[in-house]
Amino acid sequence: MRLHDILTPRRIAIRLRVSSKKRLLEEICTLLAHDPTSAVDSATAFQSLLERERLGTTAIGHGVALPHGRLKGLQTAIGAFATLAEEIDCDAADGKPIKLVFALLVPEDASEEHLQLLAQLATIFNDRELCDQLSRAVSQDAAYRLLVSQRGAAERKVS
Amino acid sequence: MKIIVLGAGQVGTSVAENLVTENNDITVVDIDTTRLQELQDRLDIRTVAGSASHPDTLRQAGAEDADMILAVTNSDEANMTACQVAYTLFHTPTKIARIRAAEYLSHPEIFAQDAIPVDVIISPEEIVAGYIERLIEFPSALQVLDFAGGLVELVAIKAYYGGPMVGHELSELTGHLRGIDSRVAAIYRGDRPILPEGSTVIEADDEVFFIAAKQHIGAVMRELRKLDQPVKRVMLAGGGNIGRRLAAALEERNYLTKLIEADAARARRVAAELNKTIVLLGNAADEELLQKEGIEDTDTFCAVTNDDEANILSAMLAKRLGARKVMSLIKSPAYVDLVQSGANIDIAISPQQATIGSLLAHVRRGDVVAVHSLRRGAAEAIEAVAHGDASSSRVVGRAIQDIKLPPGTTIGALVRDKNVIICHHDTVIHSNDHVILFLVDKRHIPEVERLFQVDFKFV
Repeated sequence: MRLHDILTPRRIAIRLRVSSKKRLLEEICTLLAHDPTSAVDSATAFQSLLERERLGTTAIGHGVALPHGRLKGLQTAIGAFATLAEEIDCDAADGKPIKLVFALLVPEDASEEHLQLLAQLATIFNDRELCDQLSRAVSQDAAYRLLVSQRGAAERKVS
Repeated sequence: MKIIVLGAGQVGTSVAENLVTENNDITVVDIDTTRLQELQDRLDIRTVAGSASHPDTLRQAGAEDADMILAVTNSDEANMTACQVAYTLFHTPTKIARIRAAEYLSHPEIFAQDAIPVDVIISPEEIVAGYIERLIEFPSALQVLDFAGGLVELVAIKAYYGGPMVGHELSELTGHLRGIDSRVAAIYRGDRPILPEGSTVIEADDEVFFIAAKQHIGAVMRELRKLDQPVKRVMLAGGGNIGRRLAAALEERNYLTKLIEADAARARRVAAELNKTIVLLGNAADEELLQKEGIEDTDTFCAVTNDDEANILSAMLAKRLGARKVMSLIKSPAYVDLVQSGANIDIAISPQQATIGSLLAHVRRGDVVAVHSLRRGAAEAIEAVAHGDASSSRVVGRAIQDIKLPPGTTIGALVRDKNVIICHHDTVIHSNDHVILFLVDKRHIPEVERLFQVDFKFV
């Protein structure tokens, strides 16, 4: 599964303005539900992300969070990405507030492939230089291009 | 956590006091501006004056950002409406409401996402009544607290001079009970906590917290302490929400119960509601009445009126007139201290401390299902569920001895598929185990929370 399979430029928000972690999750779920073909209901998605977040934060450090959850009825994994206008505290282990968010919803019977997807996202977002570039991205397309092209790079690093 | 507390009454105030010290962002809403001002002078909180359930008030209180709304006004209906509004307009993740009326409580199906969206119902009177009921059931205990839906209990008992516990090492005490396992979770000597080890020797007046499966509590107590006579005769002072519930529960367990109520109309109502309890109209601090009703043969006297002074006085009087054990409900923390340090009252029950745990369980990070606040809030006992596997969790797949617990923290027991397992150093934790921990110092709670949180990789 490749990043362009789960992300579209329309499910990207640039300099999203939110005032709390709760609002952040709500907004990212609106993005996830944006695409009518995905049949994602934003309220159910919000519930799923909240439940997962309750078990432990999905902030991976240096300002990045990867909220994710399982969703009943979902056929294939779906992602959304946002850069934030203002940093938000998300209980990260390193104490750093969040400025980049990639949310991932996977089918209820998530497979090994989905676990790999999450690990690959973590690898991608561990690249500080890319994170800087993403933070500066001014449009959905620019952020999309950065992420999708990085996908190949991450794969090369892994293999 | 961002928390909105609706209602600055007794419950709201004590909740705000407790939560504000834990790095939470608290906003209290009430109609009474004087009351809000008084709170704000004392605590680092935000206040908003207005009707608790009005959308504008909630928005002003920060409902858009709030993680939790705690509706504890005096009105069940206002609390329910506030949860409905918060759910519909603000998608508030956790909505807790205080509901008193048994008429609502007896229909749990109305509290559903598509009906009245309340995630958690709390009924402080029910919690306090249950707390006292367990103390009557186990007269040798100072405290009896439920975990895992009552499968496991944490019990506090006092060691007395010449008793079977004193002068022995812990390893001798719990070693020879065949087929019955228990664990001492903490010992308090005066105000000082002692971390129990096999070689720890118990002294007179030590307060010992032990943990065991519910069905073993009696056997373990027999081993540790010469048991007090079982309770048969109970006298209650006060026919309010707590007294009534308590009397009804005691009837079912066949105690001989008398209930004294000073208000004639209420006494009549309570008498009509209860079947076997003898309801008496009068003042619980009336020496003649107590004597006439056989106070000297009473096993447990328990004062649960709404008035601290009346409760303290009547309990002291009952003790002097010969009641074997007396308990008093005391709201004021200052009075609790006073009574525990000198007055002749066996157990002072703080309703705030008995109830706060049920709220703390929802504030704690990680999958925490039960919390009991102990030792006037200095210590805490927690039931947390372990999730994940050896790579995504810091506890799953590890033996107790390999888990990096913060200082003063012990793992006493765990519940796996409804089976109670008393923990030893080589017990290995599995995913979905309910783990019961005792923290002598609640400042280490954030570390315990982190310990039980799964890694970001967990799906």
